[in-house]
Formats: sequence, C-alpha cells, structure tokens
Amino acid sequence: MRPVQYGSGSVNPTHLHTGLAVVGSGMAGMAAAIFAYNRGISFVQVGQASELSFSSGCLDLFSILPGRFPKVFADPFVGIDALTKKMPHHPYSRVTRSLIREAFADFTDFMESAGIYYYGPKQKDQNTWENQHIITPAGTLKPTWQVPATMHAGSLAIARNQRICIVDIKGLKGFGARQMAQTLQPQLPCVTGATIAFPGRETVKDLMCERLAWDLENPKILAQFISLLKPHADRVDVLGLPAILGMYRFEKLHRTLELALKKPVFEIPTLSPSVTGMRMKEAFLKKITDLGAHHFPVAVSDIVPDKDGFRFFVTQGLQTIEIRAENLVLATGRFMGRGLGVREEQVKEMLFDLPVTQPETRAGWLCPDFFDPAGHPVNQAGIETDDWFRPLGSTGSVFHPRLYAAGSILAHQDWKREKSGAGIAIASAFKAVSHIAGNTPVRRSEMR
Amino acid sequence: MWTAGGYKDITVETQVLIIGGGTTGTGIARDLSLRGISCILIDKKDINAGASGANHGLLHSGARYILKDSETAVECRQESLLLKRLAPQCMEDTGGLFVALPEDDNAYIARFPELCRKYGIFCKPVDAAQALHMEPCLAPDVKAVFAVQDAVVDPFRLSLDNAANAQKNGTRILRNIQVEGFISHKGIIQAARVRDTRTGDTFHIGALQVVNATGAWADKVAAMAGAHISMLYSKGTLLITQSRINTRVINRLRPASDADILVPGGTVSIIGTTSMEIDNLDDIRPTMDEVDTIIRQGAVMVPALATTRYIRAYAGVRPLVKNGREKGRTISRNYTLKNHEADGLQNFVTITGGKLTTYRLMAEKTADIVAGRLKNTKPCETAQLPLPPSRKGEWTEPGRSPRTWAARPKDTLICECEMVSESMVDRIVETLLAEGNSPTLEEVGRRSRIGKGPCQGTFCSFRLAAYLYHTGNLDKKQGFFQIKAFVNERWKGLMPLVRDKELARLEMQEAFLCGLFNMEVDP
Repeated sequence: MRPVQYGSGSVNPTHLHTGLAVVGSGMAGMAAAIFAYNRGISFVQVGQASELSFSSGCLDLFSILPGRFPKVFADPFVGIDALTKKMPHHPYSRVTRSLIREAFADFTDFMESAGIYYYGPKQKDQNTWENQHIITPAGTLKPTWQVPATMHAGSLAIARNQRICIVDIKGLKGFGARQMAQTLQPQLPCVTGATIAFPGRETVKDLMCERLAWDLENPKILAQFISLLKPHADRVDVLGLPAILGMYRFEKLHRTLELALKKPVFEIPTLSPSVTGMRMKEAFLKKITDLGAHHFPVAVSDIVPDKDGFRFFVTQGLQTIEIRAENLVLATGRFMGRGLGVREEQVKEMLFDLPVTQPETRAGWLCPDFFDPAGHPVNQAGIETDDWFRPLGSTGSVFHPRLYAAGSILAHQDWKREKSGAGIAIASAFKAVSHIAGNTPVRRSEMR
Repeated sequence: MWTAGGYKDITVETQVLIIGGGTTGTGIARDLSLRGISCILIDKKDINAGASGANHGLLHSGARYILKDSETAVECRQESLLLKRLAPQCMEDTGGLFVALPEDDNAYIARFPELCRKYGIFCKPVDAAQALHMEPCLAPDVKAVFAVQDAVVDPFRLSLDNAANAQKNGTRILRNIQVEGFISHKGIIQAARVRDTRTGDTFHIGALQVVNATGAWADKVAAMAGAHISMLYSKGTLLITQSRINTRVINRLRPASDADILVPGGTVSIIGTTSMEIDNLDDIRPTMDEVDTIIRQGAVMVPALATTRYIRAYAGVRPLVKNGREKGRTISRNYTLKNHEADGLQNFVTITGGKLTTYRLMAEKTADIVAGRLKNTKPCETAQLPLPPSRKGEWTEPGRSPRTWAARPKDTLICECEMVSESMVDRIVETLLAEGNSPTLEEVGRRSRIGKGPCQGTFCSFRLAAYLYHTGNLDKKQGFFQIKAFVNERWKGLMPLVRDKELARLEMQEAFLCGLFNMEVDP
C-alpha cells in the first residue's frame, strides 16, 4: 500500500481521507512520514517551515546526562540506561534498545534511497558501539551517532588522531579554520588551518554556503577548486572543508574530490543556513513527493478531533482541502516550531491545548548561566504521554485514542543538552507509527 | 620625580594613578592631562564596564532634583548646557517633557514651575493636547505637562572620547588591571599592588597621588588604603525597547519613583529605573520582578510600554554615600569628594556618587585637589575646551555603522543585525591594541553595536571570533571562552525578559551553541 497518487493536476480534490496526518515537518515529522510509508499507511504531511535547514545533517542518539556534573557517555545505550534511571518519564524510557536500532535502520535505509548515506557508530566489540565525533565551527568536538558519508572521514580522522588540515574560504563568515585549529589544539594537536579564495568569487566579501554549493556542481569551478586544495591536501592525511560540496550531487562531488586529491575529505557543518541540513530536507521532500505523498507546506491551526479521527483544512494556492485523518502524529516541535507557546506566562500546547508539564512559574524557567550544565528547566517542559506516545489529557488519561506525539514536544527531555534530538524524534515516531499500524486496517487513501 | 625607594619590583611609575575607567575616571584623566600632569588610568575590567555603561544616558536639565536636591539641580543645569556645547558628538538634544497623570499629586505639580524658576531651570507649560501631538505615545489622560531642556548622551562615546583625549595628552590607559592593595609609609601611599586579570601577573604602580574613582567599589578600594566610606548600593534596572517610541525625554512629574523616565536614543528607547538596595556587587543583573515592575509602572505613563517588545534589560549600581539614616532614593544624588586627610592619608582622594550629567564638574573638583597637592597651578580647561571626537568612540552610536556600511557595501559584515563590518572592527582593534593588550570580544562589543541586535550574539560572536583569530588577535582557546562570556553577558539582559517569542530565540541559540557546538561541556 502506498500513498494515493494523482495524475498531474487532473484531479481537483476538495476532500482527502487518509490513515494518518503528520503535523510538522521537522525531524520527527519526517521520521513519522517515513515510517508510515514503510508500513503502507496512507498519510498526509502538513507543516510550514522546517528547522531541518538548521540541522547538522548528523543523527544524534544520546551522549550527555545533564546535571550539576554532566556525565558524558561513549556508548549511548549505557547512557540511556543511566538517563532513564534518573529520569523515569524521559521519552527514552518508553522505547527499548532494539526498537531504537530498528527505527534508526528504517530511517537511514529510507534516506539512502533518497541519496543520503549514513555511517553508523564505531563498534568496540560485539555488543558495544560508541558515538563518533565531528568537528564543529566552534572548534569543539561534538558526539553523534550517525554521520552522512561526506562527513565520515572527519570522525575517522579524529578517532585516529590523524593530521587534519581545515581549509576555510575568504569571505565565508563564521567559519574560521585558524579558530578551529587553535581551539582544537589541546584535544587534536595535529589539526592545522589554511585559507583559500573561492574560484570566481575571490573578491566577494559575503559568501553564502548555499551559493558555493551550487557553484561546485559546475565541473570547471570544481577543477579550479581542487587545484587550490591540492597543496594543502598533500601535506596532511585528511582535509576538512566547510559543508559546501553540492546541494544534490554531493556524494559524487565528494568522491571526485577524494580521488583527485588522493586524500580523504570531510565536510564540517556550518552555521545557518546549513547545506547539510538543507540536503536532508530536499532529499526527503523530493523522495516523498516522487512517491506521491501529500506534503502541504502550510501551517494548520484548527484541528477538530472526533470519534472517527481528525478533521482540518489546508489551503494550497486557491484551493482549500478538507482532510480527514484517522490518526494524527503531533510533531510540531517546541517554541521555534510553534508546537509550544506561551499564554499568560504559562507554556501551552498550541493545537489541542494539551496539558503541558512545566515549572510552576515563569521565574523558574531559566538559569542565570546560559550554559548551566543542568540545562534550563523550561527545556523539559512538554506534553505527557502513555507508553505509545499518546498525549494525556487533563484527566490524566489518553486525550484521544488516535492522537500521538513525537519529537521535541515531549516532556522530560532536553535534546540540546543530551545530544538526543534525532534519536528522540526517530524513536518516538517509530513507536507511535507502529502502534497506528497495529490498530489500523491498511487501506488506500480515498478521495471523494 | 618620586623614586621607587626600597620596592624592587615596581614596574611602572606615574604622577597620578586613577583607579576606575568610568565617566568620572576618564574625565579626571583628561582634566589632569590637560594640566600637564602624567597619569595612569586602570580599570579592573574596561572603560564604562560599571554604572557609567549601565544608565539611562540622560543629560538632566536639573528639573528632576529641584524638590529634594537643589544643589544637584543647579549643577545639572549648568553642566548640561556646557556639555551640549562642548561635546555635541556625544549628545542628541532631544528636549524633554515632565508629565503628570491623574493620580499624581497636584501640590507637587503646582510647585514644579515655581521651583524650576527659583533655580533658573528652563520650564514651560505645555497644553495636554499639544503634548499628545508632540509625543503621541503619552497616556491620553495626562493632566499637566512641562517642557524642559533634557537631552540624551551616549555615555560610551563620552568616556571613550575623554579617554582618547587623555591618551593624546600622555595618559596611559590599562584595561583589566585590578588593585589588590596599597603600599604606604607614614600616611603616604607609595604604590598600588595590581593584578592583570587576564594573565594573572602582578606588578606595582608607583604614584605620587592616587584617585579612587571606582563608583560603587569606592568603599572597597578606600578600605585597602585604610580609609572608611559608608556606602549603600542601589541597583537600578532599565529596559531597552525594540524601536524608538518617543522623540523627547519623558519624565513622570512626581517625586522620584520606579520607571518614571523614558529616554530615546538612536533607534531605541530606554525605560527605567528601579531602586533596590543590594548587599554585594558580585553579580549585578536585572531580575524578572524588576522588569515586570518597570513595564507595569512605565505603561501608566506610556501605554505602548505594555505591548512593545524589549531587546534587553540591564542594571547598574548607584554608588550612594551614607550620611546618617537616609535610605535609597532619599539619599542625595550629589557627589562625594573626600580628601581623606581625616583618615590620615595625604595623597589619596575618593570621588563617587553624583550624576553622569555632572561628571565634568566632579572631575574638575577632584583634579583641583590632586593638582594642588602636586603644586601644579594650571587651571582646569575642560569648561572651555571642546571635547574632541575620537576614533575610539566612533562606532558606539546606534545607526552609525549601517549608514557607514551602506556607503561602502563591499566591506564584509561581521554583525548583520547592526551592520558592523570588518574594517570597523579593524579600527576598534587598533585603538585597543594601542592600549597595550589584545582585544576581547566583549571589549569590541562595548565599542560597537556588535551583539546588540536581534540575534544577541548568536551569529556575530562567532564571526567576530573567527575574524579575530584570522587576524591573529586571538590565540589558543581564548575565543571559546570569550564567546561563552559574551553570550552570558547578553543573556544577563535577556533572561528576565523571556516571555514567548524570546523562548523561540533562546531555543535557536541553544540549538547552535549547545546542540550543535557542544559548548556547555568544556572539553
């Protein structure tokens, strides 16, 4: 079973009946859509702008247990055990190791079919895997679970303490090779920095990563680019570049570069907009549209739950479509995604006004130190669910038997500090969609 | 010249050591240097890092003090007229209004013009309808309005221009130098023991005269010299609005209370202040309660303050010197100048308290004592000579960098919110390097608009750090720690304002700094 397909423009639907509405198009929304597709559940996805454009492109699982003395775990599963012991209501306490593995495998398989290959964690021995690390523009190392192929040589080089040369580009702001190399010195003494001018844009003072990514898809520019990199590549083991290696043909570009330079090359995610995040979003959207799924890049505000499921309207151009969905996954995110908002100094869930667990008063939201290792209490605000990630209503029982929530809107997690954003999104979406699949007779979407 | 005597490790000598780089300290340095006296000015942090950089930026006409503090009122009148003429680059001559609301005391309103006249302060009644036309943001039920000659002053520019002029006349300015004690002999201070807060190095500064111009820290520094000053720290919090609400300074016509002055400045307005007694000066920050009070109170006078967005809150400490049993707002805002002879000290003076508006006069009076002790007979010139505009202070003004950049748009922007470019940063760095040590992000931020726009340092702190590394002005992990310090300094001002949209901004900032960069976990 696959999402319904229309002939191009020949059908003019005003009603759309579907098995699942995924509300939100960030990491959790994307994951829910992928899992629904894999399970043959018909679905529509709605959601305005996506925070994916800010993403590093890596998939984090878990690394740090925040607290007065934060604890860093090399093996995320060992970390998750400690986490769920300390935080029994954390979303990870509702999923098992094997579910997480299965969910990641499903997710990355789909992304591979969309053109983004991921490299998994380092395997220490038969049962132990460890987070890998990436270099960030701040000159720090960040632990993560899976990295896209274009970034993998970096995490290998870090693990092997190889000689790395980071090359920055004149006019590309906020990406300083010298800054990164100097800051990394205590951990990685073999990192150096170099600067080149981008071919054809030598005098441009304000370069955008996205623009350069498009430029490099031009073979002539690529050849010049390679010749500028050559002397730097020759004196080290591995070359690090800002993530600008193409928007669509990045895998091929990356290979071409490595062959020409005869050295491994890796990308470093940049400050927003991040090409690695955009690739993920573009690849997903293209694949899902090719498969004929409905993706409405609009915000919805009024969703009416009833005994059959959920009803709401989306407007696309001049057309307004009524959507009836049997199930709904709420993947609207937090404050940036407007899944959460504030009214009268209380944190609110914006679509169904679900109860939100939160600090008692506004005065308890934040820490005086921005970097307080325990994290800001407001970051753990969110919605409560049952074991299948169905939100709880004000009475403490399930709000609606077919309403699910996934991702950062869930309470009792602090993904930014735990480095668990993708993991929570993927695992919760997977469990929710599994439950939907178990309860929903699979059938085609119907148009009326 | 006095010699070091038995102290082998004295590395620097001068005639006058000025402690404190606020408006008063830099004013004293200029005054003394114009008299041909050589000075070293030190600050434990930076120029205007204390209350001089955390106030309204209001050049008082004097009208606010007519009831309680006529001496200050008259000084404000004289000094404000003088400064408008001598330092026009630091001023915006906006004019001001005093407005009374229905609940304000009629007796006080009636006495106001009378008292202004008595002290020679310009004051002209304005008809309420006319006032609402002049300032449409006013509450429609204003019952009495008077026009006064208030103006707006850029305190950063003022101090930086004073510092630059002092340097030109031979003063040395040393940032990040903290006094740890004094070495004295028979009531004469011979040297100050100081520490470079960045490197940890200690050394001695030998001086014939020592000036304590440390504002709220005056009692602590005086104690090191063996003198006692009884002080009260009064914290004042202010809020900056996202856009400019008023054209003139708007004062509430009532005895001084919370949130009764709204000062415009460049592209923003500033509402304040509160007055809260605090016990220690270690962590001065605005609180949520103060912010809520200011908004609630301010909105009575200017209703838009209830709904407008705020960029940032900040707090400074008024150094009030106790003379008896007075408290908080009732203590005189007049300055305190002590020659410490009663304490048995012959070459130490303390100047504290007072107003930004009267800084020049305070500097003059202090310099008179110091110069007299040095047998220097050259008179003070700061009441006649204009304050020359300097390169140091040129980028503090909101709106100036965008105009400059627009004329030369090829220059790479480091801060996109406030349009501060690489070449502007180069010029700031140059003036900082001329003071003998390398620039920090915070120091560049204080001398420009970097970090003061909507992103509050999320992006520009990185770009600035990358640029300073690139130009060789940062080394090793300095940038990492400076970015954290820079972000936390901005956070101080943002945290008490966080309501709704600010949570989204926080989320994005944290997603980058912690989620992606892992900066909270110090490797």
